[in-house]
Amino acid sequence: MFKRLAFSVCWISLAVVSAALLADEPLHVRIDALIQSQFKGPVSDLCDDATFMRRASLDFVGSIPNVSELRAFMASEEVDKREKLIDRLLDDERHPRHLANQFNIMLMERRGEHEQWLQFLTDAVAKNKPWDQIVREILAPDPSDEQSRGSAFFYTKRLERYGQNPDDMPGLVRDVGRMFLGIDVQCAQCHDHLFVDDYKQADWQGLFAFVGSTGIDTAKEFPAITEKPLLKKIEFASVFDAQPMSVGPRLPGLTEFAIPEFAKGEEYAVPPDRKTKEPGVPKFSTTKLLSQQLPSRELPAFSRNAVNRIWWMMMGRGLVEPLDMHHSDNPPSHPELLDLLGEAFVEHQYDIRWLVRQLALTRTYARSSVTTGASGDSASYQCATERRLSAEQLFDSILQATGATLTVDQRDDALKRFRDAFANPPKEPELEVNPTVKGALFLLNDDQIQRFLREGDLLHRVQEMSEARQQVEEIYLATLSRMPSDEELRLALEFIPVDKSNVAGNDPLHHLAWALLASTEFFVNH
Amino acid sequence: MNNLCTPIDHVLSRRQLLGAAGATAGTLGLGGLLHPAVAEQMKRTEKQVLFIWIDGGMSQLESWDPKPKTRFGGPFRTIPTSVTGVHVSELMPRTAKIMHHLAVIRSLHTQDNSHSRGVNRVQRGDPKERGVTYPLFGSAVAKLMGPCSSGLPPYVWVKPGSGGFIHADAGFLGPKYGALALGDGQPPENMLLPEGITPEADRQRNAMREFVNKRYAERRRPGVSDASSYVFDTARTLMSRSELFDPSTVTESERERYGDHELGRHMLVGRRMLEAGVRFVKVNSYGWDTHGDNFNGHASLMPRFDQAFSAVIEDLADRGMLDNVLVIAMSEFGRTPRINGHIGRDHWPEAWSLAMAGCGLHKGIVIGKTNEEGTFVDSEEYDMGHLFHTWFHALGIDPHKTEYVNNGQPLPIAHDDHSPIKEVLS
Amino acid sequence: MKEILEPVEQCVITVDPQVGSAHFSECGRFLLAGSFDGRVRRWDVSDPQTPRELEAFTQHQAWVSPVVTRDGVAFSADSWGGVAAWRYDADGPQTLWSVEEAHDGWCRQLAITKDCLATCGRDQRIGLWNPADGNSIGELQGHENDIYSLAFHPSDSNLLASGDAKGIVKIWDLAARRCLRDLDASLLFTLHRLQDVGGVKCLTFDATGERLAACGTKPKNGGTVQGEPTIMIFDVATGQLKQTLFVGPSKDCYVHEMHFHSDGYIMAVTCGAAGTGRLLFQKLDAEKPFYASKKLINCHSLSRSPDGSRLAVTTTNRNSNGNGRRLDDDGQYEGNTTPIHMLSMPQSE
Repeated sequence: MFKRLAFSVCWISLAVVSAALLADEPLHVRIDALIQSQFKGPVSDLCDDATFMRRASLDFVGSIPNVSELRAFMASEEVDKREKLIDRLLDDERHPRHLANQFNIMLMERRGEHEQWLQFLTDAVAKNKPWDQIVREILAPDPSDEQSRGSAFFYTKRLERYGQNPDDMPGLVRDVGRMFLGIDVQCAQCHDHLFVDDYKQADWQGLFAFVGSTGIDTAKEFPAITEKPLLKKIEFASVFDAQPMSVGPRLPGLTEFAIPEFAKGEEYAVPPDRKTKEPGVPKFSTTKLLSQQLPSRELPAFSRNAVNRIWWMMMGRGLVEPLDMHHSDNPPSHPELLDLLGEAFVEHQYDIRWLVRQLALTRTYARSSVTTGASGDSASYQCATERRLSAEQLFDSILQATGATLTVDQRDDALKRFRDAFANPPKEPELEVNPTVKGALFLLNDDQIQRFLREGDLLHRVQEMSEARQQVEEIYLATLSRMPSDEELRLALEFIPVDKSNVAGNDPLHHLAWALLASTEFFVNH
Repeated sequence: MNNLCTPIDHVLSRRQLLGAAGATAGTLGLGGLLHPAVAEQMKRTEKQVLFIWIDGGMSQLESWDPKPKTRFGGPFRTIPTSVTGVHVSELMPRTAKIMHHLAVIRSLHTQDNSHSRGVNRVQRGDPKERGVTYPLFGSAVAKLMGPCSSGLPPYVWVKPGSGGFIHADAGFLGPKYGALALGDGQPPENMLLPEGITPEADRQRNAMREFVNKRYAERRRPGVSDASSYVFDTARTLMSRSELFDPSTVTESERERYGDHELGRHMLVGRRMLEAGVRFVKVNSYGWDTHGDNFNGHASLMPRFDQAFSAVIEDLADRGMLDNVLVIAMSEFGRTPRINGHIGRDHWPEAWSLAMAGCGLHKGIVIGKTNEEGTFVDSEEYDMGHLFHTWFHALGIDPHKTEYVNNGQPLPIAHDDHSPIKEVLS
Repeated sequence: MKEILEPVEQCVITVDPQVGSAHFSECGRFLLAGSFDGRVRRWDVSDPQTPRELEAFTQHQAWVSPVVTRDGVAFSADSWGGVAAWRYDADGPQTLWSVEEAHDGWCRQLAITKDCLATCGRDQRIGLWNPADGNSIGELQGHENDIYSLAFHPSDSNLLASGDAKGIVKIWDLAARRCLRDLDASLLFTLHRLQDVGGVKCLTFDATGERLAACGTKPKNGGTVQGEPTIMIFDVATGQLKQTLFVGPSKDCYVHEMHFHSDGYIMAVTCGAAGTGRLLFQKLDAEKPFYASKKLINCHSLSRSPDGSRLAVTTTNRNSNGNGRRLDDDGQYEGNTTPIHMLSMPQSE
């Protein structure tokens, strides 16, 4: 399998021809062909097995591997062990919750947590719901479906009081565009976008027409929205020329929906009921229309945004950057590849599991982050880009490394502390590795980490070992998921005896493990 | 519905995205500035800022621009100052004695008369609201100048109430340029070593951490490693300076000079932060929104401000620090000349004042004037953009050569339509 | 108690610019008001419907807060510390004497007996002056704050009460020049951040001199001050607090002036946020006023004519507040005015 991918750079330099020739190959082969066709200058090697396992484990189950899995994987001589690993991780019980966490962070941008929303996402991943269906369920939540109705949190959180504002409706409109179409039309709210010609004021207003009649259904115990009938077009004027304009529900690039007229009192299919506090369902439900029209083949932006965001999750850099600035003046780094991914995703019925698996099988994914001189910028994929660990990944990885076990309550509490220390503030997308002084002080001084080290199984296990060298190796494998280098081993062995005279509580092994957990290497997916 | 983007007078030049495409590539590092060399150069000069924020709106008529014997002048007298011909309100006798250090502007004319918008526009220096969230001045300086050679965090905010790491100030620059807020002057969380870890063990464990990091960094692109080292170094520098937060290291006489009240205590913490090498210190006083009982209010507010402000100016001058520290004392607006039914003054952005000192600004001058009744500016009006230009100029940053890049969009650091206030600059 | 009818408005005198307070002369024929522009305005109010404005007294430099009268002489003081005595009943005001710096800064309040004019102010001093010639006859020291209010005992002219910015009330023995006792009205004060909020805005003895009321607000916060309008009534002989009356919602804020009525109720004016405050009458044992004007807002002073048949209440025009620029029809920046409401009190049988 990997042998087959060992193309010569010369061979694939005829990119167009080769891509056509490769049309019958699996997607991952075609991806690599397109990426490698653009290589210039030195290219980093593929990463070693240990790094690959760490990377894939973080990506698929949200945690570093444990030592025995890692040792077994490193020792295995199976040719297709990486592919098998991917499949094993995709079947791991932790996978749905982890991918749900990733989607949660991406879609909610730390506005807040909700268990039913996370459950909706987890369930969606577990059942491998197609992306278009997930988005349909988000855009038109069905309160009668217990399994999926947590999806309304996407709306309700943004419709909550925000600061001094009664809600964040502009944020909702903006995020429908950003999250599902990859366009940020915020700056086109009051006039055509000033430096993106493609973004028109009517685009913002057209999106607003779809979601502007929603509100929170406060009578429900679960996230739910209300929707009032849209009776007329949205009227607006550019602040520049004040020309009055109007638009009905319309997605960028598509035709506008006509707003049907109903006799007064006839606007609802299910009229609101004050007694039962049911909000009613309009005959002309714009959220329903949105949920039907947006996640569809008609709108290439839908699939292109999805593959770009999933590509970004796996590769650390979007083919289009920023992720929410798809427009004609901001072309993708690899236009053909984005076309290919978008089309293939549609052909495979928006199958997320299939897509991430294909991406994980690429050499691009397996590229090392170790530079070889001038490895080009991150957009060339000649060297892997270091990626941020979410607060959740960091938390689970530290638990994995230290072998600490927590009760459910302890876990909730500790995770909250990790989020406080490492998550971005609300509405700040978590796109970059973001070391902060706050996070550093947490790692340095918060007793949490010390407690995991004291109480976890790692150091107890290590204390049993007779040889210092063994101890050091075990700690390296448990934390950095690799063997120490010779120099690291030498230093660590020096470190241990020197400090051994110290009183209890200053256990050098404890400090060594801490130093590795607090290192840059542990803090990122590299 | 709030407007996330309210670009009434959007005057963004249509700088094209392509021009800045290169700058967006390094998404991980401390990048985002077109001219990092400028920031490098700044670090060597060690200029600092003390930004005294008087939240709610100090009355210009009871402070810098009194109008005695006029319809709206209020009850207070004026007093002469150390600068011949310049008078201020009798409520600031100590400040009157240090007037020769100050540059007062009496011709501010800003845009907003509500607090939420006023505070934002003023501190963000974004008078035309360009539709992106500009950084507050402290975050802007943190970004443009970085920390001083002390290695302490570049933006420290001494404020009443709670503290922590306040990201919102940074706007589009991103959370890392937010403020380290010392709530009620207290240190941030997790400043002390965990129980049972000796300083020596801490040194050793960090040496090990740095060794691992070094090996990692040698083989990677620099961005992530640099950022990570920076925050750990900053955190450890903070820990090593814990005496800065120890009230027992303040002498009783200092405490008395600054005043035994919230602003006095916080101003003293602020001075200590400047001495320790914090680039930008904001000292915040709340509670100035005297819609009612304005005169009795200012009768106690002003003397407390007067005490703390004059003490810090004296100290900075005595220590020779005023040459490099830019001091600014201001609110989000002034207060209405009209006296309302509860003997208060309301919000007045039309004609108000602020005081500055240091960092090469002219000393002992008053710029601009208001008309006889103090109702409107009777000279050239200055808006926030003028102030930002002036401040950046004093700090040695040329707003024409330096700009922000936000998502590929180049944005000016000070407003295009405005220019520095020349009379105040040397 | 006999039935009480509502006071009836006789006329409104609109004064521009604002005046701090307005009081009947001791003969009841004149109304005197210290103005923010330094004048003391005068009206002949003997005809209830048509007051006639007389020439103002113009010798003050700054805000005139208090004006008191006795034996045909008006005593007025200003915010720069000046005190003046002048004949108010003449056609033109005639200055008898003046002291330019009776206080260092704002002179807040005056009180008068036959032999003594007492003054107080920001300089934390109480000055004692010979009313006939303005010569100083002594001073009282002991307050450590801005002194807001003064009142002489109605029958014992040797007893003076003073109240300060932090709610400390002192009863003085004038002959001995010493403080007899402190009364604790600190309920009327709070320190909010940097601001001293509240203080004793007004001191009033009842007719017998047994009780002393200290008025102000129970402050919640500084800035835009809010707090329940409060009257604390002390027993003069013992200094004990007898009762505390709250006479309105916290938006009404300060009690600026009050009087004991011989029928056993109090009359007071309040002023809080713009558009709030009122004239109210409340029985001492009641929780709510039995009369409260709806029409009078932002009331700053309440004066009773000597025979009790008339009231003068200084108020503020509506829409007196507002942020930012507001110009009148001529493009001029508008100030505010003081409508003085002249009311008649229905006389009990």
